[in-house]
Amino acid sequence: MKQYIARRVGYSLLSLFLLSLTIFLFIRLTGDPAALLVEPGASAQDIENIHRRLGLDRPLWEQYWLFVASFVQGDLGLSFYYRTPVLDLYLQRLPNSLLLAAVAMAFSLLIGIPSGILAAVRVGRMWDSAGKMFALLGLSLPSFWVGLVLILVFTVWLGWLPSSGAGTAAHVVMPAFALGWYFAAAHMRLTRSSMLEVLGSEYVKLARLKGLPEALVIGKHAFKNALIPVITLAGINLVVMINVAVVVETVFAWPGIGRLLYEGISFRDFPVVQGVVVIGGAMIVLVNLAVDIVYALIDPRIRLAR
Amino acid sequence: MGSSGGRSSRLPGALSRSRAAQQTTVLHLNRRQLLALGGFAALAGGGLDEALAATPDGQLTWAVHVSLAPTWFDPAETPGMITPFMLLYALHDAMVKPMPGKTAAPCLAETWKVAPDGLSYEFTLRDGVKFHNGEPVTAEDVKFSFERYRGTSSSVMKARVASVETPDARTVRFVLKKPWPDFLTFYSSATGAGWIVPKKYVEQVGDEGFKKAPIGAGPYKFVSFTPGVELTFEAFEGYWRKKPAVKRLVLRVIPEEATRLAALKRGEVDIAYSIRGELAEELQRTPGFTLKPVVIQGTFWVYFPEQWDPKSPWHDLRVRKAAALAMDCKSISEALTLGHSKIVNSIIPYNFDFFWQPPPAVYDPKQARALLAEAGFKSGFDAGDYYCDASYANVAEAVLNNLQEAGIRVKLRPLERAAFFSAYAEKKLKNLIQGASGAFGNAATRLDAFVIKGGAYAYGNYEDIDTLFAQQAVELDQKKRTELLHKIQQLMHERQVYAPIWQLAFINGQSNRVKESALGLIEGHAYSAPYEDVAINKS
Amino acid sequence: MSTITPTIAAPAPVSLTWRRLKDFPLIPTLILLLIAFVAIFADVLAPYDPQIGSLARRFRPPFWQEGGSMEYLLGTDHVGRDVLSRLMYGARVSMIVGLAAVLVAGALGTFLGIVAGFLGGWVDQVIMRLTDTWLALPALTFAIFLAAIVGPSELNIIIILGGVYWTRYARVIRGEVLSLKEREFVNLAVVAGCSRAKIMWRHILPNVINSAIVLATLMLGVVIVTEAALSFLGVGVPPPKPAWGLMLADGKKGLMVGYWWLTVLPGVCIMLMVLSANLLGDWLRVKLDPQLRQL
Repeated sequence: MKQYIARRVGYSLLSLFLLSLTIFLFIRLTGDPAALLVEPGASAQDIENIHRRLGLDRPLWEQYWLFVASFVQGDLGLSFYYRTPVLDLYLQRLPNSLLLAAVAMAFSLLIGIPSGILAAVRVGRMWDSAGKMFALLGLSLPSFWVGLVLILVFTVWLGWLPSSGAGTAAHVVMPAFALGWYFAAAHMRLTRSSMLEVLGSEYVKLARLKGLPEALVIGKHAFKNALIPVITLAGINLVVMINVAVVVETVFAWPGIGRLLYEGISFRDFPVVQGVVVIGGAMIVLVNLAVDIVYALIDPRIRLAR
Repeated sequence: MGSSGGRSSRLPGALSRSRAAQQTTVLHLNRRQLLALGGFAALAGGGLDEALAATPDGQLTWAVHVSLAPTWFDPAETPGMITPFMLLYALHDAMVKPMPGKTAAPCLAETWKVAPDGLSYEFTLRDGVKFHNGEPVTAEDVKFSFERYRGTSSSVMKARVASVETPDARTVRFVLKKPWPDFLTFYSSATGAGWIVPKKYVEQVGDEGFKKAPIGAGPYKFVSFTPGVELTFEAFEGYWRKKPAVKRLVLRVIPEEATRLAALKRGEVDIAYSIRGELAEELQRTPGFTLKPVVIQGTFWVYFPEQWDPKSPWHDLRVRKAAALAMDCKSISEALTLGHSKIVNSIIPYNFDFFWQPPPAVYDPKQARALLAEAGFKSGFDAGDYYCDASYANVAEAVLNNLQEAGIRVKLRPLERAAFFSAYAEKKLKNLIQGASGAFGNAATRLDAFVIKGGAYAYGNYEDIDTLFAQQAVELDQKKRTELLHKIQQLMHERQVYAPIWQLAFINGQSNRVKESALGLIEGHAYSAPYEDVAINKS
Repeated sequence: MSTITPTIAAPAPVSLTWRRLKDFPLIPTLILLLIAFVAIFADVLAPYDPQIGSLARRFRPPFWQEGGSMEYLLGTDHVGRDVLSRLMYGARVSMIVGLAAVLVAGALGTFLGIVAGFLGGWVDQVIMRLTDTWLALPALTFAIFLAAIVGPSELNIIIILGGVYWTRYARVIRGEVLSLKEREFVNLAVVAGCSRAKIMWRHILPNVINSAIVLATLMLGVVIVTEAALSFLGVGVPPPKPAWGLMLADGKKGLMVGYWWLTVLPGVCIMLMVLSANLLGDWLRVKLDPQLRQL
């Protein structure tokens, strides 16, 4: 077991190394940040000054070494655009991102789980398809469009919710819904299929044979067991949400990490992009690692299979 | 985009707006007299109730289109773009800066004089001016601010300034290595070198500490900043020019244009920057809101990078003329910026020094087709790619329509901003390029980058133009230099080196709660400034 | 998304009997066929050139609204182009981009998934670490990168979207191959002396193709919606090409000012297409591959 964990940790570190190298090289292929820090037509000397100030005049390997060496010490460098430590920027925005993702997840589960159960149990065709359609609709509409329609209705027409920004509970409602709706379908599908699987299992059949009321069978026995994979997926999706929220954050001026990353890319703010992507990657790798280890603990065959 | 430096007051509009009279008359007053004068200035600038307002009151909120960076709190890091001045005008003050009706208005410097040999500039500081922490602004601060300046054009300035002397606390002398007629231009508006920070405080807290809690001599004090969300200022009642009328200023970052409009309409903000096209039209129709267009110094054009290649159709002047004639710039301006963008017909902003006004742009698709036929393209031709910055693809689409109508068939290639400018500068683009620049400077600096041999964005050159340019660079006589630069611009126009589109109008919106948004008060400045002039309607 | 690999039994051979077609999603299929029809015959059907307009007739509303005319049935856009024609050609662009991207992602992902699952060992490790890395890069981030590096064009968008989404195939297919490997017929093939390449091609691929098809129908929606998001961020299919996602992003400003047809119409088109693809995909999933659930 120890050996297995050591191997998994080793692979995770390898993934992170690959990721950091990929992002480091990729972002440098996308153009010169100096071109964006000045107006086109600025003097060559100004651009040279900027290169020197940002450390872009050094050889590539040295830049990478600096990045990795300071990353290990918990230093992500200074943002080119903000000129403040990337870690500070990240930590300032992390609570916003977590809040948005958590509320969005709540919305998505609130839509996804009931519609998934209804689809599996087939209480009635109409309910089944209504829930399913609603969940799928979220998948079919680009979130920026959903966001703008929400603003139009709830801000411009009804005047109920603030258009953008963060700070109060009212601010989080629209962005969280726009983000969560998109994920609802995935949770619906998984709920449905794992419900079906559990409903077909021996002990549920046994429970039915014992004459327990159907509602109790579904509500207690089946649901509880079917929930486990859904929660696992939700955990992973929570991390994914933090990373994909960029569109929603742009529409609602939500100061989250997605927006930070997007601006980092637009401004060719190399340290920000590197930092955000590698931290995000580390989170996903860690979650995967945890899942792997937990599963390996539960099921020894997995350990041996790899 | 753009800059603070509209340096020429050639336009009648600029003169009629002039209200700079008060600034030059402020002489050796004690603090009480200064306050009284502040009231007078407000009277001259705004109205009676503004002057009567004893203490600053209320709050104005802006919806800002870009993410605000703490680096802009420090004038020493001013990059070559206009955006940081959005904050500098509130937080800091400069020795000499563009103000309403004046491109080089005395601010912290009350007066200055140039030595007869042109080798030194001596500034006298205004008496009794204080930083937000109560410390007086001294000659030492001026010297310190200049020396720590590392932003745009810092190397140029430092190469030409031999030393900064401070004979007494209110006198600063800049000694030049050789005469440099553009010194004041650079010091007052093209850089951040003339914006003054408190030496003692900066040394005490360090550069990083200064960005966290900046202190300046401007009309507004720093209160709080949440990166990516909002920035709050509070009125500095001891500001020398006048006491600000509004107590709090809040700048909120809202990147999406449609959201900014929604926020303005719901009353979450009072002023929204950059509302364009159909959104601006909507705002114009909505009662209770006003559009505030400001022509900035960002010019747009179509460039023919293949005009030097004899095998290219663009080598033929008639084809280039045809392209220019096919472009209906006026209608494009009407559609996208409600007609507020200026059709200057030049790649040089009309408010730049040494600008030469070409004949007005002509839209004549018939003549365009005739010229094409004459050049051997009776049924038009496939002109390849049309590159542009993706954020201005809407302009490109409109130009494309025009070109197609005349028979010049092109394929639009919008590139993401950074990629576009990298490729433009690396001379990787071909066929047609839709370029734009809002860089600081004057006609000479623009030409240097976009026309002259070796220029960062010049894909080819004309020898005679290069010769004229070399001549003007060493010409000390202002009149002769102007003539030379005018001649170059004339040649460019005749050869249609560029097909200019417009000088961009930056369109903003405001609600009727706002009495004075200070938008457009300073020629060529895109944002609200000076902030001490903003006011709220009391009703 | 996760590294959980569900143990999956090989799918039973499929026979599309009438019983199986019982709840066939007829309407979604018809919608998809209609979109395909319009896409193929856009040249004939569209009344105008979708790329050329005139500023003089911008923002005309649809014919039933005041100010609209039969000339431009569904109105005109911000540069005066006919919306109906753009929607028709847009069907073509979106179909091509969607299908091609799914094909690229599917081919790449299936290939790598089979190779990783079947060969195992270090090949497997390298490929799986690569997918880990890929998943850690947010899809949109990666797409913006690629768009900035290679520049936007229809072809590049296809490559970008394919390059982003192949990991989903790789994971699912690899999981299936792992269990297929243990099956009799594979062992028999090995005993019979078939080469590894031949086994993968002849025996493994046909058995995972169902899953790949199901995934493809579901991915079609994801790809189309991502394409729209890319346009919103300014790195999608370049204008003036008519693509639904681009039309939606271009028209987003109009939504606030009453030019609803500029966003609602392409939005409805996208929605119908994605919803139909998903409904069809869900049905296929149940019919072809009931066990597959990591989607």
